[in-house]
Amino acid sequence: MCMELLEFAVEKALELGANYAEARFEEKTGTHLAIKNGSPEGISINADRGMGIRVLVNGGMGFASTNVLTKESISEAVKKAVKLAKAASQVRNEPIRFSEENFHRVSYKVKMKKDIRDVSPEEKLELLRKIEEEVKATGVNVPMRYLMYSDELWKKEIVTSEGAYVKSKIPRVSVVYNLVVFENGQMEQAPFVQRAFSGGFELLERDEPWNWAVKDVKALRKLIAEGRKPPEGKVDLVISPEVAGIAVHESVGHPYEADRIFGREAAQAGESFVKPDMLGERIGSEVVTVIDDPTIPNSWGFYLYDDEGVKARPRYLIRDGIITEFLTNREYAYKLGQHSNAAARAINYNREPIVRMANTYLAPGDYSFEELIEDIKLGVYMVSFNEWNIDDRRYQQRYIGREAYLIENGEIKHPVKRPILEITTRALWSSVDAVGKDVEFYPGTCGKGEPGQGVPVWMGGAHARLRDIPLRY
Amino acid sequence: MFELNEFILKRAEELGFGDVVVLGYETNRRQVRFANNEITVAKHWHERKVELFVEKDKRIANTTITELSRENIERVLKTLKKNIEGLSPKEDYYGIAEGPFKYKDIPETFDKAIVELDEPNEYVEIAINTALSEGAKRVAGVLYTDHDRIYLTTSNGVEAFDEGTGIEISVRAFVGDLESGHGTCSARVLKKFDPELAGRKAGEIAHMARNPEQGPEGRFDVIFDPLAFANLLSYMGFMLSAYAAEAGFSFLAGKLGEKVASEPVTIKDVGNLPNGYGTRKFDDEGVPTRETTVIENGTFRTFLLNTSLARKYKTETTANAGLIMPRPWNIVLEPGDYSKAELFSEVKRGIYITNVWYTRFQNYVTGDFSTIPRDGIFLIENGEFKPIRNIRVSDNLQRILSNVIAIGNEPFQVHWWEVSRPVITPYVLVKDVGITRATK
Repeated sequence: MCMELLEFAVEKALELGANYAEARFEEKTGTHLAIKNGSPEGISINADRGMGIRVLVNGGMGFASTNVLTKESISEAVKKAVKLAKAASQVRNEPIRFSEENFHRVSYKVKMKKDIRDVSPEEKLELLRKIEEEVKATGVNVPMRYLMYSDELWKKEIVTSEGAYVKSKIPRVSVVYNLVVFENGQMEQAPFVQRAFSGGFELLERDEPWNWAVKDVKALRKLIAEGRKPPEGKVDLVISPEVAGIAVHESVGHPYEADRIFGREAAQAGESFVKPDMLGERIGSEVVTVIDDPTIPNSWGFYLYDDEGVKARPRYLIRDGIITEFLTNREYAYKLGQHSNAAARAINYNREPIVRMANTYLAPGDYSFEELIEDIKLGVYMVSFNEWNIDDRRYQQRYIGREAYLIENGEIKHPVKRPILEITTRALWSSVDAVGKDVEFYPGTCGKGEPGQGVPVWMGGAHARLRDIPLRY
Repeated sequence: MFELNEFILKRAEELGFGDVVVLGYETNRRQVRFANNEITVAKHWHERKVELFVEKDKRIANTTITELSRENIERVLKTLKKNIEGLSPKEDYYGIAEGPFKYKDIPETFDKAIVELDEPNEYVEIAINTALSEGAKRVAGVLYTDHDRIYLTTSNGVEAFDEGTGIEISVRAFVGDLESGHGTCSARVLKKFDPELAGRKAGEIAHMARNPEQGPEGRFDVIFDPLAFANLLSYMGFMLSAYAAEAGFSFLAGKLGEKVASEPVTIKDVGNLPNGYGTRKFDDEGVPTRETTVIENGTFRTFLLNTSLARKYKTETTANAGLIMPRPWNIVLEPGDYSKAELFSEVKRGIYITNVWYTRFQNYVTGDFSTIPRDGIFLIENGEFKPIRNIRVSDNLQRILSNVIAIGNEPFQVHWWEVSRPVITPYVLVKDVGITRATK
């Protein structure tokens, strides 16, 4: 049924004069539950499906979607997409072209040991209750507690006029918490902390999100009770995999998105300090390698084929400190004279595929954590962060520590309050002189596109040591 | 769609649900995106869906139904029933509004000319060409047209219909890599839509912003352009919801009746604002939308509420349902007395920020945050404007509101990618705003 409608849409578009057509069906089903300050908030049941059609006509691009899955409605959507593309082609300086690719007819799915559809809402709520109970058992005063559980099964089918057929089924499970600690008249917060995976319910059970919540509230209590100002002047800074993750996402992943580099996102997420001729240029020290890899099993940003039907692979954005690769889709791969590296993602049937990250991380080096800190006379270890942002060319960023500690003569000492790393991208990656051995990943929702397309991503990597950093507080 | 709504309500009641709300949508939305002076993609969305909320013995559930066959609706209702039966109740649920209500037509919310508009690309070309004529080299942005119909039916006697249109454009103009300006225009009726105005503002600011130097740090008097202040008010809009306060996402929690802003600051949510991009006749329970003063001359008066939360706090709904989470419709900062020229003449040494993005909080409950100025930023010294770059506003939201010393007399509607909830605000002068920059 679905396949037939997709082929109908593509054929119809070609009949109407499209040079390229792509039809994508998506269905998302799942549940969302929340507990606010101990009280269950009810259940949301998600059941959304529809079809998007993207076409090229005379070098103009058109897109239309509908959630009425009849031939009549799809035919209308195709006509609209073709008409819009034709009109758009009149306001172009040069036609849009796509890179040549090898396409496949494939089907893949992520298996669930404990199928989310077989777990009752009450059992899902139990996961959140366990967080409530464990947080309560710490004795820390946490007056505001907001806990969310969600799961979704993403079913997708893509057909293109160039022979791609990709069918996929990816379940996703997630827990998010916001915990506000109030002790000694002071308030500290762990907001929007998420644990998330592609796979079944068992992945959350195995991850034990309550342990993360307990660690957070205890750290915040300790911060309030024992936290001091961070040291002044230039110090050495060790960033955790969580902080390294946000830094590679914001200052490596985003500025290497080819659509930004060529200005397509200029009015929204912005452009990039990176230019096409910077491929091969040094941007960081020799120990810095940054990889974006959609194929990591059970990752939050997992996929094996992108939404243009191109096979995914790891992308080496920085190798040994040198810019080696941008994230591309077919449109911008063509501009660069390359093949696409399969970064085209759409969050739903009603969105166009655009260039996105998947799982971005700082590749491991060969230092143990002890080796990273042993020769630091005075420094800070930033474990987690709350506030962060970066300018729209991705060059001036800031990360403020939530949990952080003083390092003195090679030892971790008392907590420090809100150390602020406010630094340029080049200075950040040039200051790294050592990278840890072990890699961890943290989930997030990456925002880009208009209308917005929040896509699931992992961010992470190894610990990193930065030398001579003037911290703010 | 009322026939469908009635069917869903009847079947839900037969299945034993108590409160039931059926909100049907028919939407047609069109988008033209452009960058580098050319159209990058044009899109059309057609959507029919029903948002359904059901309650049984304080157990609540909601869903969106997009496949609207009667068989599927039966299936969805049975799924909801099965899921809700074993579920723990929401102890602080207190019901939905008692209808029926009477609704007034709100001026300037529907325009047949927008529905019948065949080809909006000429507006894109007007915006691009105007920005180029002001000295821009590259122009990017987006244009939307909207046509929505909503149909509301509830188990408490509400049957309500609203139909609205809109057209809006967001334009960003660049002179070089570091020099840009932004302008927007949002209107519900075609005669109030002015793409030239948006293009002109974007081009003018980009041209003024040429050759920027690294900006200073410290505390400065700052004039926020409506585009920039709207960003902060939009984030504040979420914090005005009683739900956000309970969940630990609002610096206003526990501050009812307290001074949270300076005397000139009066902030309202106006659901029935003519030409407001967020305007609707009724909220999700069917209560007629209205004007609610949330901050009056600096004093915090009320959170935004739906019926259940209002009953919980023994007060009246503000007509901001969201059945789970109340939300604002159009956030309005009341204009002050200052003309734009008078406002700028108040600043001997300060900074004019034309736009910001990436507002993020270290602590939502204390309001500590930072945001990044983008597009033209200007150091004002003795009446002269020197373009600067690479600075950050690092401060506290309540402190910003408490340091507002002057407000312009001309309001502008702002609604774009960074300001998802419409805000109507004039230029605003804030003293002693924290400004930082990279240390390395």
